[in-house]
Parts: sequence; C-alpha cells; structure tokens
Amino acid sequence: MTQLKSGCAVACGTIAPVLMASLLSTSALAEPPVDLSKWSPEYVRSIAGTEEFDTAEACGKVTPLDYKGRLTFWYQGVFEGDPDLLRQYYKDFFESFRKTYPNIQLEEQALTYNDLLDKFRTALIGNAAPMAVRLQILGGTEFASKGYLEPLKPEDVGWSTEDFWPGAMKAVTWDGVGYGIPTNNETMALIWNADIFKRAGLDPDKAPATWDDVVTYSKQIHDKLGVAGYGLVARKNAGNTPYRFMPQLWGYGGGVFDEADPSPNYGEIRLNSEASKRALQASYDMYVRDKSVPVSALTNQQADNQPLFLAGQLGMMISHPSDYNVMLDLQKKAAGADKEKAQTVIDNMRYGLVPTGPDGKRAVVFGGSNIHILKPEYVDGGKVDEPAAKAIICFWTSPEWSLKMAYAGSNPGNLNGFKTKWMKERLDNIKFLDVTTSMLPYGIPFPALPQAPEIMNIIIPDMMQNALTGAMTVDQAADDAAKKVKELMGGGL
Amino acid sequence: MNAKSGVSTLRRRRMDGWRWGGRIFLLFMLIYTAVPMVWMLLTSIKSGFAAMAFPPEWWPSEPTLASYRNLLDPENSVGRDFLRFFWNSLVVSTLTTILAVLVAVPAAYAFSRFRFPGRRFLFFSVLLRNMFPAVIFLVPLFILMRFLGLVNTHGSLVLTYLTFGLPLAIWLLKGFYDNIPVQLEQAARIDGATRLQAFVLIVMPLSVPGIIATAIYSFIGAWNEYIYAYTFLSKNEQLTLPVGVQRFFSENTTDFPGLMAASFMMSVPVVVLFLVLQKYFVRALTEGAVKH
Repeated sequence: MTQLKSGCAVACGTIAPVLMASLLSTSALAEPPVDLSKWSPEYVRSIAGTEEFDTAEACGKVTPLDYKGRLTFWYQGVFEGDPDLLRQYYKDFFESFRKTYPNIQLEEQALTYNDLLDKFRTALIGNAAPMAVRLQILGGTEFASKGYLEPLKPEDVGWSTEDFWPGAMKAVTWDGVGYGIPTNNETMALIWNADIFKRAGLDPDKAPATWDDVVTYSKQIHDKLGVAGYGLVARKNAGNTPYRFMPQLWGYGGGVFDEADPSPNYGEIRLNSEASKRALQASYDMYVRDKSVPVSALTNQQADNQPLFLAGQLGMMISHPSDYNVMLDLQKKAAGADKEKAQTVIDNMRYGLVPTGPDGKRAVVFGGSNIHILKPEYVDGGKVDEPAAKAIICFWTSPEWSLKMAYAGSNPGNLNGFKTKWMKERLDNIKFLDVTTSMLPYGIPFPALPQAPEIMNIIIPDMMQNALTGAMTVDQAADDAAKKVKELMGGGL
Repeated sequence: MNAKSGVSTLRRRRMDGWRWGGRIFLLFMLIYTAVPMVWMLLTSIKSGFAAMAFPPEWWPSEPTLASYRNLLDPENSVGRDFLRFFWNSLVVSTLTTILAVLVAVPAAYAFSRFRFPGRRFLFFSVLLRNMFPAVIFLVPLFILMRFLGLVNTHGSLVLTYLTFGLPLAIWLLKGFYDNIPVQLEQAARIDGATRLQAFVLIVMPLSVPGIIATAIYSFIGAWNEYIYAYTFLSKNEQLTLPVGVQRFFSENTTDFPGLMAASFMMSVPVVVLFLVLQKYFVRALTEGAVKH
C-alpha cells in the first residue's frame, strides 16, 4: 500500500476504493445502485488535500534511486494543441523522473492518439517495440492475449490493487492475470453553448435530459439558426467515435454484448437488438433525416468538433473538461477584439451530465490509459530493463503524477490521487470538473476482450457509416455489424 | 473589307475565343492551386482563436508571427524539434537524391544504349515495385530493416525511398538518353575517347536537364514521404518533417496556426528548388517526349 503520511488517511483510503469498487462493478442506470451521497463531487472535495505522498520515497522501494539502467518508453503524448497546463505537467514529469533517477537513461517517445496502436502493432511484428508503453485502455487485453506483455500488477510497483478502479483493472486483466496498471481514467460530459440554446428558443442553462431530446434540440438549433446542433462523430479507426457513440448505445439499452450489465460475460451479441437499433436510428435521424449535425461527421473526430463549437457553429458535443482549458489558452493568446469574442465563448460554455436513454439509463465510457512492460523477445535489442521500467511505472501511477498527468481533463488512475493537495487545487482551477466526476458512477468499461479495439474502432464506425451514408438501412447496418462481431469472436475477419 | 480579310478576321476572332477560353481555364487552375497555399499562409499568421472563427477572416484582423517565432526559436522545445526535423528531412532527401542520381544515370544509360539478354524484362521489372501501394511493403520492409539493424536510422528511409524513387528515375532518364543522338558518342569514340569518356564528356552534359528533373522527383518524393518514416523511426531526434508536423494534432484539438506555419515552412525548400530548376525540369519532360 502507498506510503501515507496523514493520520486519517487510512480510513479515507479504504472507504473510497471500496465505494469505487461497488460503483464500477455495477450497471450504469439513471439511479446508480450505489450510495452516491458518498461518491459525489462533495465527497471528492472532502477528501481532496487530506494526504501527502512522497513519490520518490515510494518508488525508491521498488527501484533504488541510484539504479543504473536504460529504458525505452512510448506513450500517447500531449502536443501543441493541448492545454498549456497539461503540457507543462508532462514536461515536469520527465524532468522529475530524470532528477529522481539520474542514472536511468530514459528514451521516451510521444506518439499521437490515433497512431499509437497501429505503430505499436507494427513495431511488435518487427520485434522493435519499446520496453514499456502507455496505451489507451482498449489496447490492454488485445496485447496481453497475444502474449506480448509481461504480467504486471500494482503490487509489483509499490501500489495496491485496491488503489485502482476495478473497472480499469479489468481492462488490464486477461485470463485472470494482470498485465498493466491504469494511469488515468475518464468519464466525459455533455458540453453546450448557452447562447446558441437561447437563440434557438431552448433553456440556455438546461442540458437535454435524454438522447431523444438531443435529437430534438439538434434539429431545433439547426432549423432556427442554420448551425449544427450536435457534434456527431463517426470517423473510422479513431478512438473518439466509440467514446461518443457508446454512451448513446448504452443509454438506449443496447450494447455490443452485455457489457452494460452488472456481471457481463460478453457471450451474447446485442448490437442488432431493438435497443441498439434505436440508438443507431437516433444518429440516422440527426444526420440523414434532420441534417442537424456537421455534414463532415462521417470523417470528423473531436478535434474537428472543437473549432466548430468555439466558432459558435455547433450547439452540443461530448467531451472532457479539458476543452474549457483549451479555450482559456486560446483566449490568453488571442489579440484585440478576438480576446473579447473568445471570452464570450468561454462565458457561454456549459457542462452537463450525458443524457439518458428513453428508459432513464445514463451511461458513459469509462476510458483512460494503462501502462505495460513488454516481453524481451518483442523489444528492440531483445532486453528489457525491468527495474527501470518499474521505476517509471511507479512514478506515473503514483498518487502525485497520476493526478498531475490527468490534470486538465481526466481522473487519476491511482485513487489516492484524489486525496492530494493537487486535487484540491485542481477542483478550484478546472471548471466543470464536478460534472465529469459526477459521471464516474455511470462509467462502463469497454468489453475487456482482445477483439475490443477492432469492434470499437472499426466495426462500430463502419456500422454508423453504413447507416448514415444510406449504403444500408439502420436494420441492415446493425445486423451486418452484429454478424461481423460474431465472425470476429469466432476467430474470423 | 474584302472577303479574304473577312475570313482572316473571323479566324482571328475564333482564335481569340480559344485563347481567352484557355486563359480563363489557366486562371481557374491558378486559383485552384494557389488558394490553398494562400489560405495556409493566412492561417499561419492568425491566432488560434482567429483561425477557428466563423465566418472566417480572409485577412487576419490581428496578424501575428507567433507560430513562426515558435517554430524557428531553438530555445523552446517546439522550435528545437522543428528545426531538427527539418534538418533530418534535408539529410534524408539529399542523400536519397544523390544516390538515386548516381545509380539511375548509369542504369538508364545502359538500358538506352546496350542490348543484352533480358533487357526488356529487366526494364519493366524495375517498375514492379511502383505498381503496388506503398503500404503493402510496409511490414516486410520494416522486418527487413530490423534484420539489417537499420530501424531508427535514416539509412532505412534512404534505402526504402530508393526502392520507389529509382524506377521512376531510370525510366525518366532512359527516355532522355534515347533522344541524345548516338552519333555524338560515335564521333567522340572515333576521336579517341573511351566509352566512359564519351559518356562523361559528351552525354552527361547533354543530359543535365534530365538529371535535374530526376533529382527534383527524388527529392520531392523523399521530402514528402510519411508512412515509412512514421513506421521506421521511433526516436524524436530521428523524425522527419512529415511525421514531425503530426505534433500539431492532439486527441481532441488541433493547433491550426502552428500546423499551417510548419506546413508552409516545409513547402519552402521544394518550391525554391522547383523555381530555380524549373526550366530544366520542363525541358526534361518535353525532350523525353519527342523522337529526334
């Protein structure tokens, strides 16, 4: 267990994980079947800043601070468009690691979100992978099942399994063995432009309650103002698509399998169920019938929605609180009249819970990233410096850095991160953090299956594109997708 | 006005109509090709917020060179990386170009002048590589480079770019050599020159436009290549520009002014190269097309 310095920490440290465990192992309904009065924004505020952690001391027990070694490490980086604040934390992280472990020669490589998985797969084929890698949550089981990853559990790097969200641990577990550690976990929210809502005759301070409302609001916004109502995304092989469509699919009561059920076993394919088809029909209604979403939605990802939203050309979208920080940065760097215009956009940004389905089901993707150690035979040079790899993993998954590296838009993978002073500071600085925190109980992890990346990044967007382009009817597209999932699960495709 | 002059005027009018039609078409093509470049340049001098404004500002109300300062300042990490990527691209493209020319010149000459068994088959087979999409060779070449110990080196890129740059270069130069009268070499041989001397002193100077065109082709191909560079290189200090500009795209956002400034800077060497050498380039293309 983590080094705790504060007296009350033990009690707090045990309550929260237990609550989380029950939260994330249960279904995501409008009335979460857990005691939300405990895990509420108020609860997060109450534990923030109650404990202190010494990262160097904790990690020094895993890998001595004077350890001499070499480590190659790939991760999904933050780049020029990301909030300045987050970029600074990434810079600080690597500086701090080098200062703490001056004798570890670290060769880190940042890769972009959409390219990381493909590049990593190619590197594995050529036995040229890095020693350690931080991947999107979807990648864990895929690579573990193929035998590329070394078994790795939180205890191996000085933490306890109970320090992490059970849903996230599931994403790094294959055949009962852990192959990685969650670094950060996220649930998104609905963002809307209050000014657009007002001008379209909608309540500017009230989010659409249901997905059906989203369809109606989107049409109303488009009909009255001529701008896109909802930021639909359907791009293939881009993580943004399942993150935005799955909440809709689950909200309507559908799913790829039974992943939204309390104890999923992924045995039954539900992509062509009536509920799933209703969800797809909602996208069809917005794109084809009402034409109330961006016409470029088929190739859009969130990075394409953001400019539209900031330019007042989009009414609603699903995203992180980091969008607010991106806007603050843009405002800071704008000049003259643009500064005022940017401020107006900021003033009109509103965050709310992701809408529910017609039966009151509310859901959101429980996303995030994991960190893994590769087996030597797949690594460039054929050797893995395990102590060096464990040192960086301990560092990144520590309460301090798992919080800081998720500062602007996500949640710390290590639950003790919620108790740090930086969490307290973050609650004061990052507006709308409460909203995404409130979405945590509704988080549903992607199916913990090796086939999940193919299903989420290829089959789901394909299904949407088939329906939205008119290549197939909604029924046919859903049936076709279900058939592909069945073939994939049977070892085909 | 007599009948003859009337016909002449009518013909002139018809010709003028065609000429004006051609001019309008060329103007349209100019707009079609230039507007994206102009838009790229204008976006690069906007702030991040102004770049997203709607309706778009055709001319930025608050122009700024911040993106260029950022890219060209070796003191900050963005500038350091950009300048390194730029240098890497320059090294890889120049090396590829030099090697492509060194190999293509004698190879094309041989195909043009010598008759040997399997000549025709070999000549067409050099094109085989270019008949398939680049991505098909991605994994096999990656494994090969790994076997050769060239992953994460610029050598892997130079070698790979030659596999698709050389066939084009050989074909282009062969057409050029075919149009240089063989009698010139024969005259040199009669005057006592060896074949090598005839080639170096007679044929080479005449084939300069073709060699330059080949060099431009090779350089542009290597300069803009993305997928192999992206796959073969994993170290920041080795990356080339097409891969490096990716850093302006993030999971949820894009730095448009930075991206446009980097893209503009990236296009400068190619545009300069083309402008300086365009007369040779055009000559090479047209000369290869006509039999003397």
